[in-house]
Amino acid sequence: MNRTPPQTERPKITVEHLSFFYGGFRVLDDISTSFGEHRITAIVGPSGKGKSTLLTVFNRLWEDIPGVRMSGRVRIRFGDRWEDIYAPSCDLPALRRRVGMVFQTPNPLPMSIAKNVAFPLRLAGRRKPGEIARRVENALRAAFLWEEVKDRLDADATQLSGGQQQRLCIARALVLEPEVLLLDEPTSSLDTAAAGVIENLLIHLKRRCTILMVSHYLDQVHRVADRITELADGRLVERAA
Amino acid sequence: MNRLAEKMTVIGAWVCGLALLGAVAVLLGYLVMKGAGSLDSALLFGDVRPADALLLRRQVFDGIFPAVAGTLVLVLISVSLAVPAGIAAGIYLAEYCPARTRRIFGHFYDILAATPSIVIGFFGFSVTIFLHRTLAPRLYPCLMVSALSLAFLVLPYLIRTTQMALEGIPAGLRRTAPALGATRWQNVSRVLLPRALTGIVSGTILAIGRCAEDTAVIMLTGVVASAGLPRSLWAGYEALPFYIYTVSSQYADARELANGYGAAIIVLILCTVLFSLSFLIRSRLARRAAGRALP
Repeated sequence: MNRTPPQTERPKITVEHLSFFYGGFRVLDDISTSFGEHRITAIVGPSGKGKSTLLTVFNRLWEDIPGVRMSGRVRIRFGDRWEDIYAPSCDLPALRRRVGMVFQTPNPLPMSIAKNVAFPLRLAGRRKPGEIARRVENALRAAFLWEEVKDRLDADATQLSGGQQQRLCIARALVLEPEVLLLDEPTSSLDTAAAGVIENLLIHLKRRCTILMVSHYLDQVHRVADRITELADGRLVERAA
Repeated sequence: MNRLAEKMTVIGAWVCGLALLGAVAVLLGYLVMKGAGSLDSALLFGDVRPADALLLRRQVFDGIFPAVAGTLVLVLISVSLAVPAGIAAGIYLAEYCPARTRRIFGHFYDILAATPSIVIGFFGFSVTIFLHRTLAPRLYPCLMVSALSLAFLVLPYLIRTTQMALEGIPAGLRRTAPALGATRWQNVSRVLLPRALTGIVSGTILAIGRCAEDTAVIMLTGVVASAGLPRSLWAGYEALPFYIYTVSSQYADARELANGYGAAIIVLILCTVLFSLSFLIRSRLARRAAGRALP
């Protein structure tokens, strides 16, 4: 496994003085850090302490939750340009196309396998059937799912097994070729074998994108992560990877 | 003791359910018993041949055909006025407006929902009279005024059912499309609305029933006892509930009363047809919405 020490890596995301509040309750307390490009950073820690919230800071998905507040600055480097993702000029759908997210419970939409993976392309206004078919295939291959579903792309996605559904969701997040991938406990609803496939997949995926992942399973984190950081009392504390 | 309470609850639930079913059965049975005898083409068309009446070759004076047509047109106009506005308002409340506005608007819609239909009718009447005296001297109570008033009557149901159907969608599904780069409208139109369609159609069905049966609103806003077929949006019209109301309050003989029961059966049939139509539209819409999300 390719584990470069954190100090030589090139930062992809920087966070400055990030605080996050649910009502009056401070979940994240003045966090400043950066995340390296093409690294898997695992965020561990007790549940209900804001790990998932921290992930949604990077695609601004928390903004729909009523009664929450954030302060601080978050920048992501797309290509060679640093972008403040909370700047008024930031195009939210475009941000979320470049920062993909996969949730704890697989959430395929009630449509076929191919259409699920093509869904983000359609949202982005892609129309050419040839291009869509090619990118769907690439995404499914990248998510280690192509061989299992290539003969039944028109089958209902909700019929797949849990592990397959989760890989489908990863493929759907990958189809837009995001530069950052956020994973919120991606294996916690799966059995050991299915989780193993996904762990293997993640290690392959870091060549394509920068991965931030929340996990409960320390042994899993030790297998895949380049950096482990624990969220406790609103602060990040580094752990040995 | 506990087990007894448990048993009583179950028995109570069954009794209530059966009582309700029984009430409906008694009602329908009574209507059929009293009105079935009058159900023939004379009830609808009087002494005019049905083909002539339907092709508008001859006017019907004796039958309730004009009232059936009037109710049908009235329901179609009010529902097609109220449904787009109601669904749009429901979408706004559930997906776009800030929580404070939602609370305030919600109170207003609840007040509107609780407003007795006679008050709505009176409001429509007053506005018409006001307009008649000031801006539009040729405006009288008419089909359009009735349809608009009825649209106000059913608007809160449509808004609330749309809002509830959208708000009932689980958070996991709600954030799926935004996390993939969907704009708010893309999320609403491609994921949330198709999912909420069943609830929205239930609201529409409620609205159709309400428009078809309401008498108080139309009495004050344009229905008349003998107008013939609805000719214009700006003229009087006949309607079934009003016919039933006038017959039951001033029938001259047993035959006329039986006609009233017959008309009641016709209202039920009409509502059933309209309900089926809205179910059909729902399945069409669901397929199209799905088809658009998965081309």
